[in-house]
Amino acid sequence: MTREEHLLAAMVEAVDTLVDNFDLIDFLHQLCDRCNKLLDVSAVGVLLADPGGKLQLIAASDEHTRLLELFALQIDQGPCVECRRSGTARLNISLDSPVATAGFPRFAQRARQAGFATTHALPMRLRQQVVGALNLFDTRAQHLSESDARVAQALADVATIAILQHRTIVHGNIERAQLQSALSSRIVIEQAKGILAERWHTHPDEAFDALRRHARAQQRALTAVCRELIDGTLDTSALQRS
Amino acid sequence: MGANSDLAAVLESLHPAAGDTSLIGADPRLCAQALRVDGIAVSVTTDSGLGELLWSTEGTSTRLEDLQYELGQGPGHETALYCAPVLVPDLARVPTGRWPALLPEAAALGVGAVFCFPLSVGSACLGTLTLQQTAPGPLPDATVTDAWLLANALAALIVEGSPQQSAFAVATEGSDFYRAAVHQASGMISVQADISLAQALLRLRTHAFRHGRSLTEVAQDVVSRRLSFRDDEKGPDIPAGEGTEGP
Repeated sequence: MTREEHLLAAMVEAVDTLVDNFDLIDFLHQLCDRCNKLLDVSAVGVLLADPGGKLQLIAASDEHTRLLELFALQIDQGPCVECRRSGTARLNISLDSPVATAGFPRFAQRARQAGFATTHALPMRLRQQVVGALNLFDTRAQHLSESDARVAQALADVATIAILQHRTIVHGNIERAQLQSALSSRIVIEQAKGILAERWHTHPDEAFDALRRHARAQQRALTAVCRELIDGTLDTSALQRS
Repeated sequence: MGANSDLAAVLESLHPAAGDTSLIGADPRLCAQALRVDGIAVSVTTDSGLGELLWSTEGTSTRLEDLQYELGQGPGHETALYCAPVLVPDLARVPTGRWPALLPEAAALGVGAVFCFPLSVGSACLGTLTLQQTAPGPLPDATVTDAWLLANALAALIVEGSPQQSAFAVATEGSDFYRAAVHQASGMISVQADISLAQALLRLRTHAFRHGRSLTEVAQDVVSRRLSFRDDEKGPDIPAGEGTEGP
């Protein structure tokens, strides 16, 4: 594939994430591979900020321990930490330069030991929200061309869209944690108690007994009966006052 | 050791023991002590967007959760909305426009600092953990770490489910629900004033706030028929949106 075709393929894959049931991790791994090929760098990683703001590696172009360590180190220092904080890219960082690596000497030392000469960090950002960073490593001391830098940022943007899209889907899918559905059921029951108590001019406890007896007699879930009472679809004449 | 071993004990006891009907087993007071803060509260977000209070130290923390529920604003709402922590080391320095109704109330309550953490799974927010201090000042890093630990453990508890949660869902006797009366009262008001449940709850909240009373107190009055919204908007001296004192 040509460079344009690779880039286009990455974009198309990102659009595919708009449908349900796609595997984010798989997608990000593919994206890392594409970065490798398109930008001719040695290693690539995608780091995501967790709710606590700490960066976690979510996908990498290869799984060499030394590389993984470099991503793991960026909990508190490293180009990605700075990139996430500022929201701007840090490109062409020479790992030999004490000036360029002043903010992260430990990281720079480890990266050199792992055989890398240059690193780049690009923000994964949508408007004000920085969700993570794309981290590139090169064993050669060479700079990204301007066009390479644009491609890298385009890929980081693609990853951002995929991640935000995935979050929306996941958010929808797990909106019902156990306790939340327990709470929702309980609220419906309490509201139904109140409605029936008011109609019957009685105490909510008595209304509750009637609702519970009705649910049992009909072998139906109490919450479903309560929901119908609220919606006005329950035949309340079937409810027996004790 | 010290605070951390205390926290370990709290984490161990989070799951309610068999026979205990509470949804969260640990003692909130011990938890606040372990985190070295003045108060702690856990609310879980529901369809209405409001957090139902599940677990809190008595007094200030409970009242602060109630106020946010009544007013529909505050750090808890922001945390739930953005699924991100809202750490406010000095409430007095927050611009009034951010939480115009809450800030004076919180100040009167004597809250100096609020630290609110999301109970999250992935990027979904299930609820909030709120720490509160009388004295303004940032949380020490170690406490922030501990709070995240607790928030994650609570999130796991909320997702997992438990026999207690199942019993709670069908209102089994003994499974106490802090705002039970509030929702019963909403049901009653919806019939009295012929309005939706959401409007009924809003009217109850407005009434509580206007009269400087706690929502649960006002709800108790409705349930006990000391307060009715039946004649709402008919009496000449009653501002719209408020209830009337019953017989």
